[in-house]
Amino acid sequence: MKAFRHLIFFTLFGILFNTVISYAQSVKVTGEVAIPLELKLTDVAQMPQTTVIRKDKDGKDHSYSGVILATILQKAGVTLGKDLRGENLTKFISVEASDGYQVIFALAELDKDFTDRNIILASTIDGQPLPQGDGTFRIIVQDEKKPARCIKQVTGIKVAFAK
Amino acid sequence: MILKNERYKAVNYLKSHRKGLLISLLFIAVTLISILGYTDNPIPLGPYKFEYPANFGNRINIPPDNPTTQQGVYLGRMLFYETKLSAHNALSCASCHKQELAFTDGKAFSRGVDFKLTSRNSMSLVNLLWARKFFWDGRATGLEAQAVIPMSNPHEMGQDTAISAKKLNSDKQYHALFKLVYGDENITGDRIIKAIAQFERTLISANSKYDQYLANKYQPTTDELKGMELFNRSPQADKGIRGANCTHCHGGAKNYMELFHNNGLDSIPKDKGIETLTGVATDRARFKVPTLRNIALTAPYMHDGRFKTLNQVLDHYSDHVLQSPALSSVFRGESNEIGGKQLKLDPEEKKQIIAFLNMLTDSTFVTDPRFSDPRLSKNKTKL
Repeated sequence: MKAFRHLIFFTLFGILFNTVISYAQSVKVTGEVAIPLELKLTDVAQMPQTTVIRKDKDGKDHSYSGVILATILQKAGVTLGKDLRGENLTKFISVEASDGYQVIFALAELDKDFTDRNIILASTIDGQPLPQGDGTFRIIVQDEKKPARCIKQVTGIKVAFAK
Repeated sequence: MILKNERYKAVNYLKSHRKGLLISLLFIAVTLISILGYTDNPIPLGPYKFEYPANFGNRINIPPDNPTTQQGVYLGRMLFYETKLSAHNALSCASCHKQELAFTDGKAFSRGVDFKLTSRNSMSLVNLLWARKFFWDGRATGLEAQAVIPMSNPHEMGQDTAISAKKLNSDKQYHALFKLVYGDENITGDRIIKAIAQFERTLISANSKYDQYLANKYQPTTDELKGMELFNRSPQADKGIRGANCTHCHGGAKNYMELFHNNGLDSIPKDKGIETLTGVATDRARFKVPTLRNIALTAPYMHDGRFKTLNQVLDHYSDHVLQSPALSSVFRGESNEIGGKQLKLDPEEKKQIIAFLNMLTDSTFVTDPRFSDPRLSKNKTKL
């Protein structure tokens, strides 16, 4: 009987675990990088967290937490800081969502030597995981008037030269 | 007197042979006209110049190893209508992509060479020059990668391209054509695919009433204008602003944005869409957002052709979007009623939106002789 209960417990746990896993998205960092990355929620949670407050479409302020994009890019060896000069100033990142939506940021928009504005890869809103439909990760751009670049369901960040 | 006699003889001769002479002259004239007509249309050579309005943008998608040439497009057009590319010579690309239906086939699912039905609805072929991901689940990243799949699929054309190449090899007209396009007579599966992709890139539709309106050459009717406003606006029920929220996915001059969404057709879908490829549950029943260009001609609608009319499509988006964990956020909480769960358009608004959708029909595109079967063309091209 005990063994049967264990079996039920582990089966249910397995189903739950698989459900959680299968809904999670990861983010690939590729292109002009020294080290390509694939970040899962657990990887991002271990990196320094920053909070950005901005309005959502409900018109109310929300507190988003996540990792500053430049921190992730530096981990991938992207030319930021003292290396963001010369031809590297023609580099940009293309952020892609699982629904095909794409937005771009010039590297200089992300570098703290150029701007104090924080752009983060958020994974929580008001201390909770992002709502269904918004994916595991969402870009939050501090103080940008339109939310169009606060791209949801982020699955890829590609660094490239403008040609 | 002698002269008079000679003239008399000549007139008599002409009179008696008039019929024969007339027939001979007519024959010569017809022969000359047909020779001229034939030789006036040699296959054009050289780079193909794409023509499209500036507001379509230049984010076009041509692989470096398959530049578009006029001769390549001609060969591709021949092959698009070539039944030898299928098992038992039963089907061509055009069997499921008929020009008069904006390159769809009017069916929910299409019958393949094995008499079995395809698993998804035949997609329209238009403005593919700008497309980057193909099929309802976006699994092919270029036209070349796309075109090969229905050819070898046993439920579609059911024939490997290597066999197609062999079959074309026994048809002499193709030797000269392949030489013209590729420099030698070698016929391969890869070359077949490349030529078809070249032709498909030329299927540009840019002359609908909507294009004409954007170019200040057409004044829409009141219904068309109201439909356009609704199409372009997001609803803000608290401010009394009504909208149908269509441009999130169908906006822009081409009426196409390369997006993939779960649009709430089912709570538990039979076809899992992109999830089948990625294994990620948020991709469940996520499908390509199709172009709305020529949408009035491309019924039935959705990946499984479940809706026969645009009215049914509008009813779905207005009143019947079903909730599920993978439902795209654009369908969550967007309503013309305060706190509403569904979009809720009224019958008049649906009629106006459909009036606007009819503006997207490009009748010159569906009758353009450059896209029709060259074998049936009045102006046959001489090799």
